[in-house]
Amino acid sequence: MIPVANRPILSYVVQALVDNGIHEIVFVVGYKRERIMSYFGDGQAFGAKIEYVVQEKQLGTAHALLAAKDKVQEEFLVLAGDNIIDARIVSELLQAKEGPAMAVASSEMPSKYGVVGQEAGRVVSIVEKPITTSEKVVSTGMYRLSPETFIVLEEAASKGIMAITHALGANLKRMHLRAVHTTGKWMDVVYPWDIIKVNSAAMEWEGLSVQGTVEDNVVLKGPVSVGPGSRIRSGCYIEGPVVIGKGCDIGPNVTIQAATSLGDAVVVGPYSHIKESVIMNHVNLGSQIHLSHCVIDDGVQAGPGLMSAASEANLGVEREFFALKRIGMLVGQNTSFGSGITVEAGTIIGSECRIGNHGRVRGNLENRSIVI
Amino acid sequence: MCGIVGYTGSRNATEVLISSLKRLEYRGYDSAGIAVIDGGVRIHKDKGEIAVMERSLPAMRGGVGIAHTRWATCGKPSKENAHPFHDCTGKLALVHNGIIENHLALKRRLMEQGHEFTSETDTEVLVHLVEEHEAGSLITAFMSALREVKGTYAVVMLVEGTDTLFAARNGNPLVIGLGVNENFLASDVTALLDYTNKVIYLLDGDVAEVSPRGVVIRDPDGNVVERRTDIITWSAEDAQKGGFEHFMLKEIFEEPEAVQNTLTGNLDSIASGEDWYGRDLSSVRLVACGTSYHAAMIGKYVLEKVAKVPASVELASEFRYASDVREDPLVILITQSGETADTLAAARQARRRGLSTLAITNVVGSSIAREVGDVFYTHAGPEIGVAATKTFMAQMVALYLLAMRLGSARKTIGSDALREMRSQLMAVPNHVRQVLDQADQVGDASNMLAEARHVFYLGRNISYPVMLEGALKLKEISYVHAEGYAAGELKHGPLALIDSSTPVVAACVKDHTYDKMLSNITEVKARDAPVIALAQEGDEDVQSLVDQVIFFPDVPPLFSPFPMTATLQLLAYAAARKKGCPIDKPRNLAKSVTVE
Repeated sequence: MIPVANRPILSYVVQALVDNGIHEIVFVVGYKRERIMSYFGDGQAFGAKIEYVVQEKQLGTAHALLAAKDKVQEEFLVLAGDNIIDARIVSELLQAKEGPAMAVASSEMPSKYGVVGQEAGRVVSIVEKPITTSEKVVSTGMYRLSPETFIVLEEAASKGIMAITHALGANLKRMHLRAVHTTGKWMDVVYPWDIIKVNSAAMEWEGLSVQGTVEDNVVLKGPVSVGPGSRIRSGCYIEGPVVIGKGCDIGPNVTIQAATSLGDAVVVGPYSHIKESVIMNHVNLGSQIHLSHCVIDDGVQAGPGLMSAASEANLGVEREFFALKRIGMLVGQNTSFGSGITVEAGTIIGSECRIGNHGRVRGNLENRSIVI
Repeated sequence: MCGIVGYTGSRNATEVLISSLKRLEYRGYDSAGIAVIDGGVRIHKDKGEIAVMERSLPAMRGGVGIAHTRWATCGKPSKENAHPFHDCTGKLALVHNGIIENHLALKRRLMEQGHEFTSETDTEVLVHLVEEHEAGSLITAFMSALREVKGTYAVVMLVEGTDTLFAARNGNPLVIGLGVNENFLASDVTALLDYTNKVIYLLDGDVAEVSPRGVVIRDPDGNVVERRTDIITWSAEDAQKGGFEHFMLKEIFEEPEAVQNTLTGNLDSIASGEDWYGRDLSSVRLVACGTSYHAAMIGKYVLEKVAKVPASVELASEFRYASDVREDPLVILITQSGETADTLAAARQARRRGLSTLAITNVVGSSIAREVGDVFYTHAGPEIGVAATKTFMAQMVALYLLAMRLGSARKTIGSDALREMRSQLMAVPNHVRQVLDQADQVGDASNMLAEARHVFYLGRNISYPVMLEGALKLKEISYVHAEGYAAGELKHGPLALIDSSTPVVAACVKDHTYDKMLSNITEVKARDAPVIALAQEGDEDVQSLVDQVIFFPDVPPLFSPFPMTATLQLLAYAAARKKGCPIDKPRNLAKSVTVE
């Protein structure tokens, strides 16, 4: 349920399906499924009929798919809930010739994904996250399959293979899996900083409107959307694409630049400047704050003078290092900052942290850290 | 309380009626029935839920019909006492929600005149009365019959040989749904939303003739009157479970949104500075029933603290009996449905005494809105589960907002404190969300409650009404006997009941009552009672004293009712689920109580 331009990623998937005339959707949900069910309900508001299947333990994608076996009688599509896709991918899969198919795409970072080897449009090999590879074609995790595929998945599951790519990869000889090369928009959020890029790409597709109250002497340039009940106070300068949710209170004299999204009930105090950032819901930011290339999760509170400017940085996550060209900071849920804090570029702060006054923060902070 | 629906048009009436009726099941479910004109008037009814009646339903064709789902008030739940009722000729059939107070006298007279009765209900006299007056036109007969009746009603009647339905309302809700060459009637708009969102709310005393061609509404004197057409923006999908096992759980998870929607658009009005209800307001009286009563009690603490105005709380059913000794310049009436009979009566009484009235309700266009001077709508969306959850949360938000607005008008709260309260209120959805994200942590505690026969809920200060509500939730849906108590009262009686088989749920908020609460816990622990504590995150002192701790986000004490309420609701839900109780339809209870 990560928000992109203030809508959960999953809603883009649903939209891509509905745009292609597919209305029957089964969600395989697990831990914390209530948020998803609260948002989508029975799907009517999205023009779809959504059913839910609960996967109690998250053992793998094939395991998840098997949970939905009883709901599926005909050919079906398999899509990942954490990918932003557009309607084109779905239509390309639908138009592919008979039989099982896998959507593949060219990627600049093939080692993040399953690399696909093909012969005459047929998938002949899948190598998961290779360290080095000359191929650039990767699996998007999207398929068109028939109910017979469940037999293959069940066999694999009995041998302990729980991921779809592995289960299909082990059966490529006896199963003709077509590779459908897609040119549609496909982005996934593997690392938290991917959110910034995906958010900025998604914004361009959004229809925008101003519903809240915009006081005098506010400049709205380009596509800017303001949700109902929000107030943009005098002297603000907002350069789209910017999306502002419901019940926010911005300003006076705040500058927000592309491509930024603010969730619901976000407060931004006077003389602050935010650009290319994703601020989620119920975030309360004090005055004179600078945020650039940041991701701020729900419920973060900050006193005046929080500073996180973007620059080049190396980030270490789970023993992997990533050199990023521009990054500010990433902050988890309900973390609070005192006043006058400067955060170095590339800092990752966990959730529920408490950070005192007048200091400098860098590196990785675990959840519930206290910085005095 | 009962649910009634009517249909006249070209569709198969049986299908329309059954699907609409199912949406009213929250209003009652001990027996159900349907009447359709198929050649003659055909009636089918059965004891039990609508689904039971549907199973034995014979094929009936015809585009005109009425149906009813019952919650027994007069006459036990049985097939005989299920509606609709027919007259002696079998040409009239009628469904009714409400109470006919003078039914015994009427019944005696009608029996002397030779009418035969088949049930123990008060309703049956209505249909025989219409028959008795049938000499003139049907509408005159219908109105003459109603004139003889004392009590409250929403009635729909069908008559063989015509596609006109006759409907009347006095004290119980009834809406007309407008279609194209078809029209509908129902107790509540939720029943109609699959078919239309254009509705007319009938007013008390209105009598309507509804046919596929149109609607004619008359006032009690028989003059044709115009009533406003409302467009409802709820969709029928709003009333579906969408993946959740129960409506109650779905509605608990909708609380962050319910709070957000109630705040949106209302926060700006707080600091308006206008002299709202007068700076000299001497006192406020809060009047409500059930869960709304607990919201009122919380409102009392907040109003007194923020607006410094003396506030008292009274049950709506008792307010009516109070003599006029004390005048409260402002009476705030709280009812989720806006149809609660006792609260409506209290509103009328307050107005008769010349007091200002303000209602807090969730249903736009409900009866209470017409009985009071001012209305505050909580935008929580429709609530189907009988146990109120998100609407209670929204009622609290409304009361905090009112207290802030009164406080700002009376200059009892500074702009700085007001700003702080405002930002705390804005954070409520997030705090509730955090509770919901950790819903699993009530698991062990709920096992303790599910196995218990008696449970005590203890709180002090503003947590006291929160615990009353927590106890009510457990009672309502899990049938475990639960008592909410002010912890200070413990030694004045209840301590005698405490032993190793009575779990105690204790609210430990870090305010000035915290130490006292800990000593209360020690007292009950000394009697071997298992103790479940609700404590703010990071509270390590409590952990060592009790058997189970359920943590909620660390918020200022004044705002603790929000995360605590969500926690207690999840706790009651988990206990009831473990016991396998019918959570959305607890026995003997109905969603809104429209009888007194």
